[in-house]
Amino acid sequence: MRGILSLLFCLLFFLGVAQKAYTVSGYVKDDRSGETLIGANVFMESDPSIGTVTNTYGFYSITIPEGKQRIVYSYLGYHSKTEEIVLAENQSININLKLGIEMQEIVISEKAEEEDDNVESTSMGRITLPVEQIKVLPALLGEIDILKTLQLLPGVSSAGEGSAGFYVRGGGADQNLILLDEAVVYNSGHFLGFFSVFNADAIKNTTLIKGGIPAVYGGRLSSVIDIQMKEGNNQQFQGEGGIGTISARMTVEGPIVKNKGSFLVSGRRTYGFDLAQPAIRKTDFAGTNYFFYDLNAKMNYQFSQKDRVYLSGYVGRDVLTFVQPGRDFQFKLPYGNGTATLRWNHLFNDKLFFNLSAIYNDYKFKVNFEQEQFRFEVASGVRDYSAKFDFDYFPSNEHQLKWGLQATNHKLSPNVVTGSSGDVEFASTVTPKYGNEYALYLQDDWKISPWFRINLGLRATMFQQVGPYVSGIDGKVYKSGEVVKTFSSLEPRAFLTTTLNPNASLKAGITSTTQYLHLVSNSSSTLPADVWVPSSELVNPQRGWQYAAGYFQNLNNNMFETSVEVYYKSLKDQIDYRESYVDNSVQEVETEFVFGEGEAYGAEFFVRKNKGKLNGWVGYTISKAYRIFPDIENGRRYPTTYDRTHDLSVVANYNFSRKLTGGFVFVYATGKTFTPPQSIYLIDGEFQTDYGPRNSQRLEPYHRMDVSLTFTPRPDSKKDFKSNWVFSIYNAYNRKNTFFVYTDYESNLQAGTATIKAYKVSIFPIIPSITWNFKWQ
Amino acid sequence: MLFASCEEEYTPLPSDQGPQYVVEGYVESGQDAIIPYLILTKTLEFYGTLGPDQFNESYVHDAIVRVSDGTKTVQFEEICFDDLDDEAKKVVAELFGFNADSLTINFCIYLDVLDQLQPAEGNRYDLKITVDGDTITSTTYIPVHVPLDSMRFLPPPGDPNDTLAQLACYLSDPPNEQNYYRILGNTNGGSFEPGLAGVEEDLYFDGKSFEFQLLNPQTSENDVDPDIFGLYFVGDTISVKWASIDEATFNFWNTVEFAKANQGPFSSYTRLQSNIVGGIGIWGGYSVSYNTKIVDY
Repeated sequence: MRGILSLLFCLLFFLGVAQKAYTVSGYVKDDRSGETLIGANVFMESDPSIGTVTNTYGFYSITIPEGKQRIVYSYLGYHSKTEEIVLAENQSININLKLGIEMQEIVISEKAEEEDDNVESTSMGRITLPVEQIKVLPALLGEIDILKTLQLLPGVSSAGEGSAGFYVRGGGADQNLILLDEAVVYNSGHFLGFFSVFNADAIKNTTLIKGGIPAVYGGRLSSVIDIQMKEGNNQQFQGEGGIGTISARMTVEGPIVKNKGSFLVSGRRTYGFDLAQPAIRKTDFAGTNYFFYDLNAKMNYQFSQKDRVYLSGYVGRDVLTFVQPGRDFQFKLPYGNGTATLRWNHLFNDKLFFNLSAIYNDYKFKVNFEQEQFRFEVASGVRDYSAKFDFDYFPSNEHQLKWGLQATNHKLSPNVVTGSSGDVEFASTVTPKYGNEYALYLQDDWKISPWFRINLGLRATMFQQVGPYVSGIDGKVYKSGEVVKTFSSLEPRAFLTTTLNPNASLKAGITSTTQYLHLVSNSSSTLPADVWVPSSELVNPQRGWQYAAGYFQNLNNNMFETSVEVYYKSLKDQIDYRESYVDNSVQEVETEFVFGEGEAYGAEFFVRKNKGKLNGWVGYTISKAYRIFPDIENGRRYPTTYDRTHDLSVVANYNFSRKLTGGFVFVYATGKTFTPPQSIYLIDGEFQTDYGPRNSQRLEPYHRMDVSLTFTPRPDSKKDFKSNWVFSIYNAYNRKNTFFVYTDYESNLQAGTATIKAYKVSIFPIIPSITWNFKWQ
Repeated sequence: MLFASCEEEYTPLPSDQGPQYVVEGYVESGQDAIIPYLILTKTLEFYGTLGPDQFNESYVHDAIVRVSDGTKTVQFEEICFDDLDDEAKKVVAELFGFNADSLTINFCIYLDVLDQLQPAEGNRYDLKITVDGDTITSTTYIPVHVPLDSMRFLPPPGDPNDTLAQLACYLSDPPNEQNYYRILGNTNGGSFEPGLAGVEEDLYFDGKSFEFQLLNPQTSENDVDPDIFGLYFVGDTISVKWASIDEATFNFWNTVEFAKANQGPFSSYTRLQSNIVGGIGIWGGYSVSYNTKIVDY
């Protein structure tokens, strides 16, 4: 560790003294709302190869030669701005960019059209989707869903029909790091995963990193989904909302002090069962209800030119209550996430940006039954306290360094069962587990020449299982905070880019990742009841290596962006439940785990049209994902549930006029693997099923088309209040995609006859929806 | 599901694996224990319709079935239904829940005909089957019996209803030892059936004396009216067969119950956890007691 720090300081020293030009730094913002723009391009007009992009907080720093210079600021969908300056000293310039065109016309691109950032940058498998792009696409029941849109990108596959859960490049659902303003979201789904917890009105930006995960991120093997909430309009008060088929939403934002601080509060809630309450009250199930809600809030304040503080939070819950008053029976199932993030940005100087974050997150799940004197309850969850600091250092145009440190205290509650029968109390013996996770990282994005760039990173991580804990191996009792088991890992990351010409490049990368928290699901998809467990004396960390290479080519003056990426992943210490596992909620799940290895490989093809009335993308992936567990079928290599040989997405939107925009999505994927019933037999007069090899058959291919129309009656209205209508059709040609297969037995043993049938069930037919959206300011 | 689901019949691809031996055998001790017996069949192809021929062909004949308690070894004798006299047919059919007069399957069992084994608590019973050059083995243990303290019928929970009742059972679980239970019930005679939660382990209630509600197997199926779910009808005669079992037997029945309950949209498959080597199924030791009451309160 000392060696790494020495290297860092030497690097900083030499880089610092080598520069003779001056630095221009500042923030790039939206001129109407004051929202900082993430990933905006800043470059010299005379030499676009000298440039940078704004960081997560909209900050940039560029070092350019003294004298008269013109700097271009650009961001997708905004008018570019060119600043002419005479540089004789370091300067601080904050830039406000104007939204250039209506949102419906926004190009589907994370870059400005002036640059070939996707070609030149060292990032691979990284895509940023501003939320306005997501809003113009068709959505199930009109619920705009960030995570489902990510599933339309190559390398990302859906966990199932309608599900917000997803798998990235053959990795498990728990191998995706989902961050909301830096806080980990442990369960990203509402209503059994059919809707994601992210209310699009509160979200500014979503970045998916599926390939070259930079050293700044860690803790998961497969991907990072980094979601930033909006900061709130610091120029004027405004509101927006909508009423959809199943939910209503409302967002209010405005300045705390104009140009200095702002706030945002955003809520969403379903209302279907609320409307049905009068009818339900007349039944035997009066009091039964289900709803989910999300509440996002954020505020920020700039105390000085160099200091800014952000406070953001989220709370979301699903609440199911089933009541049968006539039987004195009550069942409650509440679950959801809560997060809070406090951040302090400080500029030490024009080249050194600092962020300090304190993060809290909490996921709780509970099931409760009550009838007369009997009560039964199962509760589980994850609670984290985390602190981290990050430095962004821009010593020269050739280097951009990031380093930081993070420490997290985890409390993971397994299924803790309590109950009572009259005065007799019951409790399971499992108790929460505790762990401390540390990470130190350093990365340098180094432009060695105009044609060659390298991003080198190293992430050093450590995880300690700590007490209170009673060893399941030798019965040793550990006190609170006492270390039970320590794991550590050095995770190198390296990404190279060779620019072949201004419009084409070759990239290659290697990523090492380690995962200390695990969610192992016994279901075909992850469910809210699935339990997160830490690495411990019984469970090793999951480890992965990913090797990737790609060719990137932009065509026709950047109208088309294309890429081909290939990858190979090797995964160690993968976890699954043993064969014949039964979830009875009262035992330590770790004792039911078996461990194995995995591999995944594939090729991803991507073509995106960025300009014109018609824009969108086509993504195609051919891939394989396997697991080998010595304790499952004697080590037979089998395809995972996430294995999709072919996965195609076609996404388009077309701007018919200023009033009317159309959206189109088509997806095709190889059918999911499943374990087929092989034979039957009678035990105790009932049929039992004997199954064939795991995942040895597939459902039929999955395909679906969705369309939408967004109608804005008065797009040019000068009034403060504006609205539009979104008409969406999910599964437009009513494809009956199989959601699950089940078997049914009908027998008359007396007569010696039986009928055994398997059925495939589809759950989403053609589903039209209407959403009315409004906005005033 | 919330949305209009649609289902179609579906035929999985045929299996390329041959049939397996299936064992279902029991040794019981205690009150009214049944004579040790074993059913030996082969798995049936997973296909549409089965008739008596397929059932009859699934029985494996002429196997040598031996059970040893460590001191003596007893060979079970194969007996088929059609070979019995009418009186025996009636007794056997009732035991297995059939009507002897119209039974079309000639089912066969291997039986300790002379009741030589005399199973007892605390003993281990090793099974060895030899058939067609194959050997199938297993072992089971009959644990010390932990009986129900008592049981009584109470008015149903919630709204008054004088035709229905709930069954409250009382158990004192011995502390500091792992106990496993299997619970079956019948109504007005007939075969015993497991109800919902028909097997239990005491992880959750080790050493406790407590009351619990035992659901009626007949009214705890999925398609039963929720107003009578798990309840008993006043006037019926209810028998509860309460068995202490070993861990392997518990695991088998626990996976049977889980596999049955776990069919649905998000479910994964569950392989039954068998204690049979060379086949699948269960060789189970039970120590049993019975409680019988007329439903009344």
